[in-house]
Amino acid sequence: MREEFKLLVALQDLDIMIREAEEKKTSDKFKDMGFQLDGLEELQKGRAKLAEKIPVALRNRYERLAGHYSMAILPVTGNKCLGCFVKLPTSFFSSAYSSELLTCENCGRLLFIP
Amino acid sequence: MESKKLVSLFQEDLCIFSLRSRKKSSVLLEMVRQLKASGKIADERFILEMLKNRESLGSTGLGLGVAFPHGRSIAISDLTVLFARAASGVDFESLDGEPTRVFFLILAPSEKGAEDYLALLSQLTSLVQQPETLKKLYEAKNFEALQTILGGNDE
Ligand SMILES: [Zn+2]
Repeated sequence: MREEFKLLVALQDLDIMIREAEEKKTSDKFKDMGFQLDGLEELQKGRAKLAEKIPVALRNRYERLAGHYSMAILPVTGNKCLGCFVKLPTSFFSSAYSSELLTCENCGRLLFIP
Repeated sequence: MESKKLVSLFQEDLCIFSLRSRKKSSVLLEMVRQLKASGKIADERFILEMLKNRESLGSTGLGLGVAFPHGRSIAISDLTVLFARAASGVDFESLDGEPTRVFFLILAPSEKGAEDYLALLSQLTSLVQQPETLKKLYEAKNFEALQTILGGNDE
C-alpha cells in the first residue's frame, strides 16, 4: 500500500477514536468501565499533525467524504464496496490497479486493495 | 458478546506469558509484534500508532495491575484479543500508579461498528473486578491455565 494511503487510513483510525471519545453514547460506556478520556485535546493536536502530512487534494477528498460517511476509506475485501454494498467493476481487480487508490462509482468512497 | 464464549476468542499464539519489555512503549511494541507474528495484522505501524494515540487519550491501565489497550482499525479484519503477562509488573502509567501485570489488548475492525468490542471490553473489565480471578490471572503461566480461568467465568 502506498505511503499516502497508509496515512489516510491512520487518519481515519484516529477520527474513529476521537468520535468514540466525543459521542456520549460511546464515551459513557468507556467511562462506566473506568477509562479516562481526558486527553481529547492532545489527540486532536495529533490529528492535525497527521493530516498535514497528507497531500492537500487527497486530504480534502477524505475530509469531504468523512463529512458524509463514518468510513471514508475502505479496503476491498470482496467484490462489493463495503460502504454501499454495490458490486465493483471487474476492472478493479486487475493488477494494474492494485497500487492505486480507487473510487466507488456508486458512493464515491475511497477504496484500496490491501 | 452475542453467544460466542469469551474463552473462544483467545488463541495460544496470541498470548505472551512472560513479557520481556519493561517500559510502556516497548510493551506495546512487543504485543504488536506478536500480532504480526501470528498473522493477525500485516503492518505493525498502524496498530502501534493507534494504540499509542489511545494511550494519549488516557492510560488504559485501569489499575489493579491490569491494562486494556484497545482500538478499532481497518488494519484488523476481526475482533482480536491478545493476552500478556508480566509477573513482576511494568510501569504502564496506570490510573492507580501501581505496576501492571496483566494486559488484554483488544482490536476490532472499524467498519463493523463498536458494539462487539465494547461488549468484550465490558466483559473483561468486569472479570478483573473479581479478586479471585484477578489473582489467578496474575499467576497464569500457560494457555491451559488461562483457558481454565476464562472458561470458569463464562456464563
Ligand atoms: Zn460504495
